Amino acid sequence: MSLHSKLKIEKCLLNTLYLAEIICQHRLTWGMASSCFSNVDEYGFERPQDFDYETYEDFMSEYLKVLTKRAKKWSEIMGEGKSLQRNITIKRYVRKGIPGEHRGLVWLSVSGGEDLKSIEPDLYQKLLQPPHNKQIADVIKTDLPRTFPDNIFFNNTENQQYQLYNILLAFAHQNKTVGYCQGLNYIAGLLLLVTKSEETAFWLLKVLIEKILPDYYTPTMDGLLTDIDVLAELVKMKMPDIYQHVTNIGLPWAVITTKWFVCLFAEVLPIETTLRIWDCLFYEGSKIIFRVALTLIKRNKSNLLACQDFTTLAECFKEITKDSIVLKCHDFMQSIFKVPGSLPGSTIIKLRTKISRQRAEQKENKLGR
Amino acid sequence: MASSINSTGNGYNFKVVLLGEGCVGKTSIALRYVENKFNDRHISTLQASFLNKKLTVHGKKVNLAIWDTAGQEKFHALGPIYYRMSNGAIIVYDVTDYDTFQRVINWVTELRKMLGSGICLAIAGNKVDLEKDRRVYTEEAEEFANKTGAMHFHISAKLNENIEEMFFQLTLRMIEHADLMEQKSTLSRTSSIRRNVVVVEDEAEETEPTKSSCCSVLPCMQVTDQVSHKHALITST
Repeated sequence: MSLHSKLKIEKCLLNTLYLAEIICQHRLTWGMASSCFSNVDEYGFERPQDFDYETYEDFMSEYLKVLTKRAKKWSEIMGEGKSLQRNITIKRYVRKGIPGEHRGLVWLSVSGGEDLKSIEPDLYQKLLQPPHNKQIADVIKTDLPRTFPDNIFFNNTENQQYQLYNILLAFAHQNKTVGYCQGLNYIAGLLLLVTKSEETAFWLLKVLIEKILPDYYTPTMDGLLTDIDVLAELVKMKMPDIYQHVTNIGLPWAVITTKWFVCLFAEVLPIETTLRIWDCLFYEGSKIIFRVALTLIKRNKSNLLACQDFTTLAECFKEITKDSIVLKCHDFMQSIFKVPGSLPGSTIIKLRTKISRQRAEQKENKLGR
Repeated sequence: MASSINSTGNGYNFKVVLLGEGCVGKTSIALRYVENKFNDRHISTLQASFLNKKLTVHGKKVNLAIWDTAGQEKFHALGPIYYRMSNGAIIVYDVTDYDTFQRVINWVTELRKMLGSGICLAIAGNKVDLEKDRRVYTEEAEEFANKTGAMHFHISAKLNENIEEMFFQLTLRMIEHADLMEQKSTLSRTSSIRRNVVVVEDEAEETEPTKSSCCSVLPCMQVTDQVSHKHALITST
């Protein structure tokens, strides 16, 4: 794409954002609150009936300013035409949010996906050539209509479902250990919505599963079970009262947090918040998941401690992923770097090593008996 | 916690877990039973969720905590976390898909191995509204259920067929089982656990009916503790 056309797009986007903001402000003055947002969001998700338009409008009127500012900043770096270098400035930029239209390219670039792709540029096309394993194909097909049924791109057109099928099928055939695992459908689906490119989505999925995340999706789910225990351990260190409370009530951490890890907060947190988390995930790695989880728990500490029985507590853990704190993605993303306090990568590595060793020992003991 | 059988007043608390391959209709069954809703547009369940249902059986109040779980085989690793301390399990298959019945066999075998006869089982063939596409023979399913001491039901969450009946029958059986354990535990001194939470498979268990029943609060708690600890060990095996 030429620099000229890039700038044109940027300008276009800025105009749209300004326009949207002006309309919103006008509607607000005219007392038409909550009418300027359609019941489908920009990614095609139908808003639930009880969607809180007022809170969203409050948030959006502020966030549009942020978006406009970020769009301008990013258009400057992206306009240089060089590929992105990982450095402290870019890291800071990423934490403040990547504009939607750059996401695919920036994610690919900062995560090393681009390098991976350059080794085998035609891998994706090759993988789509038949024959394909029927069993895998069938399992994937089962989940297609069950992926984002509330998204107009997935429930109205066959096309997106078909593209999603291709991505998942290709991925499963080049990683036989993982194959297809539920959760990947949401991740690949969201990647597709963001990048609008099957192939880019495939490479991003590959980078996530094979480079960024531990073994979450393998048959024994060892990496997942380990990370759930790591999170529990971190809660114990940082919020012992919460840890004790959850333990007393007897709610297993896996019950609360499996989906957080497996879907990387897709289908858990509001869409824009999820994508802002993914911005950091692609740059900084899986540690970010713990930051988000700890922030969610810490900011809702008193609510959680007030729950006196199993069901209420489980319900509360679901509620905390839906409130206005998480909707305000910009504030939320700033808070994940403050609220949980210091969280060195070395701590995570140590805990992972310790816990996976314990798990291995337990397994051995079982076999020995 | 949800799984203990609470005898305060004259009520019971039971934990019932829904298990079975992905897309057999576990979420739909739970939603039909608890909220009498059916939705064609379901997302696949990845996060266990809980629904509560209160009912009265023979004048006794029963609270069912129904656990809906992720079904895909990959998530089998999480199984023990879900079924731990369950009083009952409904293992669901799709009558139009024979592979899903194979999963039922695996689940039942695992549950019997881990929890013994301490858990009441119901096997459910869902989607009987699609009878013309049936791939699982009724006789085979019923025979298997019979052999493993499980009940069997033909149900449709979509048409609301037999769902209520299934939960009711399972509840009856859980009550029966709980009362039996209560009886046993009040009989022998060591098992003064008021209601058994855990039943370690123990065929040799023969108790003479004597009529002593009393337990001070303290020993009671201690014993419960020991047993649940023992149970934890067993389930993690």
